[in-house]
Amino acid sequence: MQIDLYGDTLPALVTAACMAATGHDVVLRMPQGRIRQQVIANKVAYSEPGLRRLISNEHTEGRLVYGDFDGLPGADSRAVFLALDTDEAPQANVIVERLAAVDGRRWLVVNQSPFAVGSTEELDKSLKSGIAHSQSAAVALPDFLQEGTALAGMQRPPQIILGCNDGYAELLVKEIFRPFNRDSDHFLVMTPREAEFTKLAITGMLVTRISFMNDMANLADSLGIDVENVRQGVAADPRIGPTYLYPGVGFGGPGFSTNVINLVDTLDATGVGSTLLNQVIEINERQKEYLFRKLWQHYRTDLKGRTVAIWGAAFKPDTGRIDNAPIIRMLDALWAQGAKVRVHDPEALPALLERYGHHPGLHYASHPYAAAEGADALIVLTQWRAYWSPDLDRLAAIMRQKVLLDGRNIYDPSYVREHGFTYYGVGR
Amino acid sequence: MNAFKAIPDTGSQAEQQAWAELNLQAERLKPLHIAELFRADSQRFSGFSVSHGPLLLDFSKQRLDSLALDKLFALADACDLKGWTEKLFSTQAVNNTEDRAAMHWALRTPVDDVQYESCRDVLEGVQEQLDKMADMVDKIHSGQWRGMTGEPITDVVNIGVGGSDLGPLMVSRALNDFTLKRSRSLGIHFASSMDGSQMAQLLKQLRPQNTLFIVSSKSFSTVDTLYNANTALAWLERSLGKCAGLLHCHFIGVSSKPDKMSEWGIHRENQLQIWDWVGGRYSLWSCIGLPIALRIGMKGFRRLLAGAHLMDNHFRNAPWQSNIPVLMALIGVWNTNCLGINAQAILPYDGRLEKLPAYLEQLEMESNGKSVNRDGELVQLHTCPVLWGEVGPNAQHAFYQLLHQGTEVVTCDFIAPALRYHEPTHSEDSLELVRQHELALANCLAQSRLLALGEAALEGEGELPHYKRYRGNQPSSTLLMKELSPFSLGAMLAAYEHKVFAQAVIWGINPFDQWGVEMGKKIATETLGVIRKEEQPEFPLDSSTLGLIDFINAQ
Repeated sequence: MQIDLYGDTLPALVTAACMAATGHDVVLRMPQGRIRQQVIANKVAYSEPGLRRLISNEHTEGRLVYGDFDGLPGADSRAVFLALDTDEAPQANVIVERLAAVDGRRWLVVNQSPFAVGSTEELDKSLKSGIAHSQSAAVALPDFLQEGTALAGMQRPPQIILGCNDGYAELLVKEIFRPFNRDSDHFLVMTPREAEFTKLAITGMLVTRISFMNDMANLADSLGIDVENVRQGVAADPRIGPTYLYPGVGFGGPGFSTNVINLVDTLDATGVGSTLLNQVIEINERQKEYLFRKLWQHYRTDLKGRTVAIWGAAFKPDTGRIDNAPIIRMLDALWAQGAKVRVHDPEALPALLERYGHHPGLHYASHPYAAAEGADALIVLTQWRAYWSPDLDRLAAIMRQKVLLDGRNIYDPSYVREHGFTYYGVGR
Repeated sequence: MNAFKAIPDTGSQAEQQAWAELNLQAERLKPLHIAELFRADSQRFSGFSVSHGPLLLDFSKQRLDSLALDKLFALADACDLKGWTEKLFSTQAVNNTEDRAAMHWALRTPVDDVQYESCRDVLEGVQEQLDKMADMVDKIHSGQWRGMTGEPITDVVNIGVGGSDLGPLMVSRALNDFTLKRSRSLGIHFASSMDGSQMAQLLKQLRPQNTLFIVSSKSFSTVDTLYNANTALAWLERSLGKCAGLLHCHFIGVSSKPDKMSEWGIHRENQLQIWDWVGGRYSLWSCIGLPIALRIGMKGFRRLLAGAHLMDNHFRNAPWQSNIPVLMALIGVWNTNCLGINAQAILPYDGRLEKLPAYLEQLEMESNGKSVNRDGELVQLHTCPVLWGEVGPNAQHAFYQLLHQGTEVVTCDFIAPALRYHEPTHSEDSLELVRQHELALANCLAQSRLLALGEAALEGEGELPHYKRYRGNQPSSTLLMKELSPFSLGAMLAAYEHKVFAQAVIWGINPFDQWGVEMGKKIATETLGVIRKEEQPEFPLDSSTLGLIDFINAQ
């Protein structure tokens, strides 16, 4: 089937590549910018395992071609996907208005973008406006990609939530996704509004679990309890399960926190508001400064002239993105107190450089141990694999002060302390 | 006791002459009703109103005419108001009893103002402190001022009394609409009373981890303030423990006495300085205004200063006929000394100015509530009248009865902004709120009209029963501003400051000291010992005090 896809988000690239890989002919229409340049030059646009190779293969095979973001789909195009960013709703409207202006076409628009609840209905209305008995339709197909495992998530989805009021559109979407829907039917069909809200409710539930555990960790802190043991006990309960129970220094990422905030915005706009989600976000923001508070207290409220090493800037391992990541608040906090920071991250340094440039308080270290050189403390913010088993003797030798702050509770406190370090975890 | 005279026999020949002529005018005008003045001159408003910058002063409802006004100007000349004004705007010690200058104008003068070339170093010192304050404001607004536990400060409590309380409190309330977006969640609180009333309430609702205290005291020895500060410190220590960083994280000091701040424990970095040439009641323009800057941001604070600076230039340079502070002063002198009116009501028709009456009570009564002239002689003229006030529309349901039908003659200052609720922040509810403001304005104009004209304001009412009659003839001025903004408020407050100074010049008194508040403090210290049963009084106490102490201690 011929499919056009607008956008340069991670879901846009993943969807385009995976659809092409099953035999669809896909025109990927990315707006001008860095991502487009990287993709066309066959370079990594998102540090998503396997993605660059898949795109490159499909492009070589000729099933994935690049079109203009401002262009219209060809005469044989059967479906138009929109996989834009949260803040690109105006662009989505422009695209849909241009589609509606074409005479005599029956469009299927599949909206994957995380816009506010109700947006797909708006797109549907504008697609049909001015045309009597229009058979075009816009449907919602929220993405559930997890960065790091995005390709597998697309190819073997646990569920596909489709928001759709139109029988023909439903048939067509199911046909497009047939290769990913073989062993059993993963489609859950509901109204577009319900589909959009489901996406937000799932995100809301996940972050609520995280903030709940962080809240528990803070209590554990003041009660002299190791929250890690508590976490394992809680996770063992089959009604609860182990996922999204890790206390830490707060969640981030483009999908995660913007979606949560979005949900809050959606609710606020209707005048209802979710007190719970507001609290969830507030706890999360506080949590991002958790280790700063530990460090501040360790150095008796004076960080002036201190050097702080940070391992991990990405909002999670296996990505190079720093959107809403804890490091942003940490840097602001440390700089405001006159401390200097040395950061290492296997992938996120370019993103950090793009945001802060050459900042006098920031040293970009090419190696984890180079970051720790002469530091008064080492803070681990992202649990990259490479950080799990550091050479503690080497660290002890190169650091000025042996202070280790473990933002992801990945170390054994007693082992670290044996090496002469002062250890701080989250809730332990 | 003062022997009051209509024409003082002290002062220069010219002054006595001016007073004598003024008294003739007073005799001529006393029998006239304000309604008759309006009937005699249909253009009275244009002759008896002036405007400058954002302000309009309408004094056409005062009981004077242009002849009387001329004699008042002659009095100002005879008293050398011009010369005294130049002394004020210099480094000369116009505060003679304390041998200090009174340079509050310097707090709002740009460094590069050519009129003040000779005191460039003073202006630079002022800017240095403002810059230091700006850094603190920025740190607090960005959530980077940290408490002991590393949590950001969310609440600031200003501990101060008198000038260190009334000015910051009044202005930050008045300019609440100009709250910076980034400081919207910042709580700003005030604790002043020595009995700890506000403190007790605040400590219940605030978290020590997130609370920063500003200890504001020019002398840093004000008992009221230090007791409140000690209570705050003990409260913090109870939950956060006693340690070195506590004072550094949770206290800022503003004072002219760095040594005393250090002695109390304020960290050097957290000290903001004022100078002995800043009077307490003239200090909101200095770092004492920190709570204002925290509310409206440094940019807003600098607009406030700019408004005051505009008024400084106007007061210094404008001829008497169009000089707002001078006209306000001379009208006050006319009412007090020529018409014998000893009460003045301050009536803002804008709820945001609710603390303005209290602020002006201090500014006027602490400055000019004096009965000894600059030569140490008893004055022969009445000085500052009794001031009080309330938000106008609310006062209408309280003491306006007395204004309209009581036996006392009272002069009133009506104060209101012409525009309100037109800022973007109000867009949603603006229509209804604009209507409410219009209603308040209508009441403001109606009340001053009725007070002035009496029932003559309502033609065709026919014969009224005696208890429904309004005799009118209560004089008032109306001060309108375009809108209530940092700039216009700065201009208005500076106008009152200069009014007070100009009156002090006419009365020959020093407006910048306040010896009348000293003795009480001393006696209180002694009485405290007696109440606590720790000391015997040096001299036998009077039976009233003894009786009261007995009652207290018997409980």
